[in-house]
Amino acid sequence: MIAEGLLYTQDHEWVKIEGDTATAGITDYAQEILGEIIFVEMPAVGKELKFHDEMAVVESSKSASDVYCPAVGRIVEVNSKLESKPELVNEDCYGAGWIAKLKIADSSFVDRLMDAKQYADFLKGL
Amino acid sequence: MPLWYSSISAEHATVRQTAGIFDCTHMGVWEISSTEAAEFLNLVITNDITGLFVGSAQYSYILDTAGNVLDDIIIYKRAENKFMIVVNAANNLKIKAYLEGLRNNQVVIDMGNPERKLKYSPAVRDMKICCDDADCRVDIALQGPAAKDLIFAIIKDKKIQEVIENLKPFHFIETIMAGAECIISRTGYTGAKTGFELFVHPAKAPQIWNKLLQGGAVPCGLGSRDSLRIEAGLPLYGHELAGPFNISPFEAGYGWAVKLEKEFFIGKSAMQQNSKTYNMKVTRIELPATKGVRPVRQNDTVLDKTGMCIGSVLSCAKVDEKQIALAYISKNTMENAPVGIYYAARNQNQVRQGRKQNIQKEQNLQADITGMVVSRFAKFDVGEKI
Repeated sequence: MIAEGLLYTQDHEWVKIEGDTATAGITDYAQEILGEIIFVEMPAVGKELKFHDEMAVVESSKSASDVYCPAVGRIVEVNSKLESKPELVNEDCYGAGWIAKLKIADSSFVDRLMDAKQYADFLKGL
Repeated sequence: MPLWYSSISAEHATVRQTAGIFDCTHMGVWEISSTEAAEFLNLVITNDITGLFVGSAQYSYILDTAGNVLDDIIIYKRAENKFMIVVNAANNLKIKAYLEGLRNNQVVIDMGNPERKLKYSPAVRDMKICCDDADCRVDIALQGPAAKDLIFAIIKDKKIQEVIENLKPFHFIETIMAGAECIISRTGYTGAKTGFELFVHPAKAPQIWNKLLQGGAVPCGLGSRDSLRIEAGLPLYGHELAGPFNISPFEAGYGWAVKLEKEFFIGKSAMQQNSKTYNMKVTRIELPATKGVRPVRQNDTVLDKTGMCIGSVLSCAKVDEKQIALAYISKNTMENAPVGIYYAARNQNQVRQGRKQNIQKEQNLQADITGMVVSRFAKFDVGEKI
């Protein structure tokens, strides 16, 4: 499942851009591959991240996977619900399972992302 | 074998409560036969097969002459001079080459006496190679309290049912199941009190698998196979045996499968030494897994109650609201001892934030979570009938 209106990375993160705020999470493909997610390590609020910096760690019973920052900016909010309900990432990865929000510092990163159709084509090639 | 069909936790619960089936056709299956088979095997393996009778099986090790574990295996005695051995998939080609080398006297078997040779050269056959009419076998595991009922839904003969009903652990029968010759063995790798492995011709495996599915068996993947064997305390080659720490059978808690009283077996002198000097052991540790607790992983550090590093985690699985870790720690740590876990850095970002990697023994650290050493093996009685 791929959500329209979001932008995607080759590492299976998504980002939604609204004004100067970027909301980020992992894609349905990623959560499916990881299996039951039981822990999410969130970044510290206030942290400045460059594109592809390590932003979070998502741990399932089989693996610990880095989530890379799909934007450029400062972390302004993290999804604290994931502390007690990490399974939200499995259940609603594009909605309630979002991981972090950033205040965008420089929007040129958008050129490095795929739209929904491009990401769908990318998945077909895997 | 996929990692999971539905989910690891659901499949794990199924095996504890009803029954799951595992496609173990990746496991290596070999036949050692001819008049010299028993003599040959007893020099190659650590356990003693002279006490086996037709219809019984035994857990054992194959070592090299320096005492390194090449594999852990189960030996099934099918006739006076016909044995079936089941080996780990990852070690299958290694064991094949080793047996071949031993049969051709190309391998040093006694470091103290390099001229020593095995006098026996029995026939060795890959039982997974599928050929018409031949006695070929692959492994399907059927594990859990409902396993017997699932077999009885297919095998209706009361006499055979009675034999299966009374089958003791590590005993097996050869019978017909769903039109196929089948070895039904009370063995397995889940800790289930009622568990069987079914060895059938590769061409007949799909029909047995499908019949069991129709009867209500739930297909289970590699993920639950791992979490079940971890919960039970069973070792996995490369983790709790051999692997980075070169863990010996004594350290793994299986000294009973190394018969030092035998006159000779390959690796005996190294095992005699190791049995006296080993100072680390595999232990089972219970830890919390409430929401928000980061899962413990291989290479995480085990601390004693003072915060001193006493070893590291080999495997870990989440089971309901707890985590069960198998860890390699100081031998003098007793059951019920409180222990701590320090999460080793998972990535470079954590290293930059000060989290440590490659922690040395006796280093002092602050525990991230605490737990307790529990019995080396788990017992499962809930819902079990045998």
